[in-house]
Amino acid sequence: MLHTDREREREMESKIEAATGKLVVKKVGGKSTVTRCFSKYPLKFIIPNKVGSSETDAVWVYTLTYGGGIVSGDSISCEITVADACTAVLTTQASTKVYKSLGSKSSEQILEKQIFRVVLDSSLVIVDWITSGRHESGEKWDFELYRSTNHIFLEGDQPLFLDSVLLEQGSITNIAERMQDYQVIAMVILLGPKLKQIKIQVQENVRRMMSEQLYLPSTGLRPHGKTQSDHFLAKPSFVVSCSAFGPKGIGIVVRIAAMTTESVYRFLQHQLAGMETLLGVSPYS
Amino acid sequence: MEDDQANVSHGKEKQASVELPLHWSEWQLLDSILPTGGFAHSFGLEAAIQARLISSPDDLRTYVIHILENTGSLLLPFVCTATTSPDLETWHKLDRMLDATLTNEVSRKASTAQGSALLRVAASVFTEVPSLKKMREISLNFGDVAFHHAPLFGIICGLLGLHRGTSQRAYMFITLRDIISAATRLNLVGPLGAAVLQHQIAFVAEAMLKKWKDRAVEEACQTSPLLDTVQGCHAYLFSRLFCS
Repeated sequence: MLHTDREREREMESKIEAATGKLVVKKVGGKSTVTRCFSKYPLKFIIPNKVGSSETDAVWVYTLTYGGGIVSGDSISCEITVADACTAVLTTQASTKVYKSLGSKSSEQILEKQIFRVVLDSSLVIVDWITSGRHESGEKWDFELYRSTNHIFLEGDQPLFLDSVLLEQGSITNIAERMQDYQVIAMVILLGPKLKQIKIQVQENVRRMMSEQLYLPSTGLRPHGKTQSDHFLAKPSFVVSCSAFGPKGIGIVVRIAAMTTESVYRFLQHQLAGMETLLGVSPYS
Repeated sequence: MEDDQANVSHGKEKQASVELPLHWSEWQLLDSILPTGGFAHSFGLEAAIQARLISSPDDLRTYVIHILENTGSLLLPFVCTATTSPDLETWHKLDRMLDATLTNEVSRKASTAQGSALLRVAASVFTEVPSLKKMREISLNFGDVAFHHAPLFGIICGLLGLHRGTSQRAYMFITLRDIISAATRLNLVGPLGAAVLQHQIAFVAEAMLKKWKDRAVEEACQTSPLLDTVQGCHAYLFSRLFCS
């Protein structure tokens, strides 16, 4: 099964060669400005004139896919360059929805790859999350395959962060089983000097949050599972951990598994509130 | 056995050990008595228990299977490439790549601790392979080699003359061996129950091996983000038996 997926991936990669979108952000008149903006169907960029405080130098770019979502078989690629001393935010207006193409012979496969090339004093924030689907309607991790790859290279070719998460329905393990009751997984990367304070604060907050959630259950394994009175034995609804990476721990990666989308949103809102001074607006506000 | 023939054809520095069938070295390498410190690591099992993710023997079985799948998808490519090209340059390249790939700090530190110990032991034990000692000394002098476990395991297997099929299966075996051992010490299962479980899961491990073996390191990926998140919480545990 893996062999067939590789073939499909090769097909997709050759389609991506012609970029669907290109953006360049440079300093013009002392302000971060989009100097080049190109996109073709199904991708569109929306660049509002002003987001938040005009004292902050930051460009906000919203990406939009026609139809509001991605259907299996779509391939979209984007190349973005942010010049020295500039700040740019790339985001979507709402969460990207992945639709099953009804009646299509091909299974629902989404392959995402993001490559970031940074230099020593670059700062970077990446938020990457996926939900199990319309989990309130019972659609839980129902798709065939999802792969999200985030690579960060430092000063050219030095690998700094190479992560690829693959969720694939398998014959031995299916995705829902691997996720247990968690409906959302998310990853936040904070890298670079401008985020030093936020990094320290997030690590401390995560440590405090999880220390309260982790404890030895008082009983060992029971052969037939939990009993009703065991709310102390219930899994935490929000699990998060923080790891440093890179030389001198210049980056941190926060990994989250949560039972609700709202809890992840609140977490991001709270932890990234300090970015308002950098971006003009608090993200996820 | 085809593996034996492949092993013989891969032998490079084996003049001194040609009289000794490879089995002796192979079995010693996989024996848990080899002092590589593997018993200090639980593969996130201890954190999973304290997060109440494991509350029945079935949960334990499922957990082990998911860890084995992740071992296959993430680490076997490193074992495979290292076994096929057990030279210094390849090792260092794999070591750098794995250092960037193990983004979970807990598993990254466990990997370097186990890898360092394994190479130190192998260099002392398998003296008929002098390049083990040389590579170790050169790399200690470099200072920025992390000594990650999976590539080193592959290198040692390759230099001993083992085929990449054997080394990848062996890596799955020692992972299974070590988690089961951790499970007994965490009182999740008794010694006999552990042995029964290990044999039952061996069939699944073999299927995992067939699915994930012989892949390039560029294709390495993780398949259990939940377990990765939970293992990352190990440092927040108030009381712990294990390092990871």
